Amino acid sequence: MGVQDQLQIGVRHESDRVILALDGELDMATAEQLQHAIDGLDGQEMVVLDLEQLQFIDSTGLRSVLAVLERCRDRGQQFAVTRGSQQVQRLLGVTGVAKHLRIIDAADEVLA
Amino acid sequence: MTDQMLPTQDVAVELLVEAGAVLASSLDLPTTMNQVARLTVPRLADLCVIDLRDEDGSIREVAVASADPRIAGPLEAMRREHPLDPSGEHPVACVIRSGEPELLAEMTSALMHSFAQGSEHARFMIEHRYHSAVVAPLLARGRTLGALSVLRLGESDSYEPGDLDLVCELARRAAMAIDNARLFSQLRRVEQRLEAVLVNVAEAITLTDDGGHMVFANQAAAELLGASTPAELMSASPGTIMPRFLVLDERGQELDLQSMPGRRLFTGESVEPLLVRNIVRATGEERWLIIRSSPVIDPESGRILYAVNVFENITEVKRAQLAESFMAEASRVLASSMDYTETLTQIARLAVPQIADWCAVDVLGESGGIERVAVYHSDPSQVELAERIDRGYHLDPDDPLGVPEVIRSGRARIYTDIPPGALAAYARDNAHLALLEAIGATAVIIVPLAAPSRTLGAITLVSSESLRRLSQADLALAVRLGRRAGTAVESARLYTERSRIATMLEAALLPESLPEIPGVDLASLYRAAGELNDVGGDFYDVLAYGEDRWLLVIGDVCGKGPRAAAVTALARYTLRTAAMLDLTPTAMLDTLHRALRHQPSGLDLCTVCLATLDLGGKRARLTVTLAGHPPPLIIDADGGHRQVGTPGTLLGVLDPIEISEVEVDIEPGQTLLLYTDGLPEADRAGAQLGEQELFESDVERPDPSLVGLLTQIERAALRRANGRLRDDIAMLAMRLD
Repeated sequence: MGVQDQLQIGVRHESDRVILALDGELDMATAEQLQHAIDGLDGQEMVVLDLEQLQFIDSTGLRSVLAVLERCRDRGQQFAVTRGSQQVQRLLGVTGVAKHLRIIDAADEVLA
Repeated sequence: MTDQMLPTQDVAVELLVEAGAVLASSLDLPTTMNQVARLTVPRLADLCVIDLRDEDGSIREVAVASADPRIAGPLEAMRREHPLDPSGEHPVACVIRSGEPELLAEMTSALMHSFAQGSEHARFMIEHRYHSAVVAPLLARGRTLGALSVLRLGESDSYEPGDLDLVCELARRAAMAIDNARLFSQLRRVEQRLEAVLVNVAEAITLTDDGGHMVFANQAAAELLGASTPAELMSASPGTIMPRFLVLDERGQELDLQSMPGRRLFTGESVEPLLVRNIVRATGEERWLIIRSSPVIDPESGRILYAVNVFENITEVKRAQLAESFMAEASRVLASSMDYTETLTQIARLAVPQIADWCAVDVLGESGGIERVAVYHSDPSQVELAERIDRGYHLDPDDPLGVPEVIRSGRARIYTDIPPGALAAYARDNAHLALLEAIGATAVIIVPLAAPSRTLGAITLVSSESLRRLSQADLALAVRLGRRAGTAVESARLYTERSRIATMLEAALLPESLPEIPGVDLASLYRAAGELNDVGGDFYDVLAYGEDRWLLVIGDVCGKGPRAAAVTALARYTLRTAAMLDLTPTAMLDTLHRALRHQPSGLDLCTVCLATLDLGGKRARLTVTLAGHPPPLIIDADGGHRQVGTPGTLLGVLDPIEISEVEVDIEPGQTLLLYTDGLPEADRAGAQLGEQELFESDVERPDPSLVGLLTQIERAALRRANGRLRDDIAMLAMRLD
């Protein structure tokens, strides 16, 4: 694992949601980080994963996104993601996960 | 008496000469004052009084000498009880204030009443018939210290103006002596304070002169330099202390007396603090000292009188620092290789000579025997000696002492003293004893090679020919080393073990060989990312699926390790069973999905691509079904290719899954390629490219043989990933003849 295999997670609280902005790569080396980041974030109506700056995701990374989705459902929170890089979009498409996610254009987009 | 009371010129000279001798003889203030007082009685006076002025101006200290013993004592007592008023009219007070002598040629009763310190004082003077007096100031170094009074009583002659000079001269000499005595007593007080400080400081301090004599040493110095008291140290001859120690610089070079800062000072060099490693020859104890020396310079001659040497004992700090750098080096060595025999040999080398003269490492073998894996000494012939002992007298795991005992108990042992009988008791026979004696151990440390859950062996450290003897501090370091090395060895063992299991498991997860299908060429390729240290989640299979129908399977289970291996096995065998039951591809994947959903821990992701090949009709038909998996490619002979299939939901997590079957024709010469996503993701930058670009750029002229084509694709992927795959690659290819 090189130095470039890193993930930065910025946590931002907005009125109705908490936004986790992922910057870097979400893979076997960093998936755990996302799980820790979501710990305790159960106060908001909605959790948004902002994938704008996410360069890469693999199947383990995908699994951790799905784990976040499950936890949000269990907590009764809404869950959405923003579009990531082409690679991220491709993987979400190929795996059929895209159809199960609420994909929004901007992290602070107001939802109906 | 009267004759003596008339000083001739000779008497005056004699008095002054005597005064000089008396005054030079003592530096004790009361003694000096009494000597001066007695000097004048009876030759110059019947009564002599010396009054001293204190720092605060009061007049308290007094010395009295009298010819009549009934006078001196009571007068001293009276002065104590009624001290002279410094601002009063008493002639002593006046002289002290003015600095000028006074002649009281005739002391009338009225005069005495005028300056008496009370009626008692007046009565005393009258009763003892005070008659005539000279009061001279005690002047020294520009200050008035007090006054010298000489008195004549009763019938004696009166003093005359001519007596003033003699008394003043006497007073000058007395003043000098008194001042010296005062300064000396002040100096003594300062020295006592300084000594009290030096005696109690933790640092060892010595003062040496240019002949190397020690003129001062504190208790800490005595302890450091092996003496029971400072006095013992100071009485030692120059040059007899140093040979008790082996003194080395930081690089291990021996230093002599002349290179000590305290000696070099006298040669006029400016000296920097010196860090030395000091070993007590008698005990082998090792200390690290910083020696700082500074000169005491004679203000008049500018010569160096003494060297003040301060020895700061930094053994603890230095040891800790050395231990840290040793452990850092040991950790580097331990991390450098997974070959633990090699690693332990390097560790043994690292410990010699920094910690010990010998280092041996023994490990517990699988059969319970103890195996020596490393032994090191800087002299190869000595290594040979240790090997002879190991060969001839192999360690018995049940030995009550030594390495076997440490391995059994997991406890570190230190023997700082090897009594003569101990080796004999340990040796199995005389030849063994002779070999053990040849080692010449002065101290031994044995620590467990401790893995988190068990003891794997032991590290033995021995000090022998070098003076430095192993100590408790070394024991602590050795225990850390044993723990670090034990953990490293255990990891290396587990790694080897895991690689073996991984290889076995992988073999179980992939088909041993692909079936023979008439008119169809099949090839597969599996490339694990990195070494065989993690079980990958890729799997593929080719199965008979009814009459003239075949099922090609490729899939990827998320994750690595035992959990992924178990899920991979579940996926592979579920699909096999489903194929035997002749389920449709969609039903097969649905079955697998439900099987995964029933797994207790949840979130077992799996992507699968199924391709059924129907050879029953005129044309071969392919049905491609995708569940979260990258679509397969159909590659033409000229390298042109296209993706087949419609994306479907991955299995095991999301409900409901959406899956669709896509049917296509396949022509002879065309290749169907199924692959796992390790392939397009081989390169992170390239990962943003679609699969099409990937193959266009890399496989322009496909190898005509199927195996050759797969190798070509694999090489291209490896090249893009700079030789380091981040995920396993699995490929399954099929071509119609």
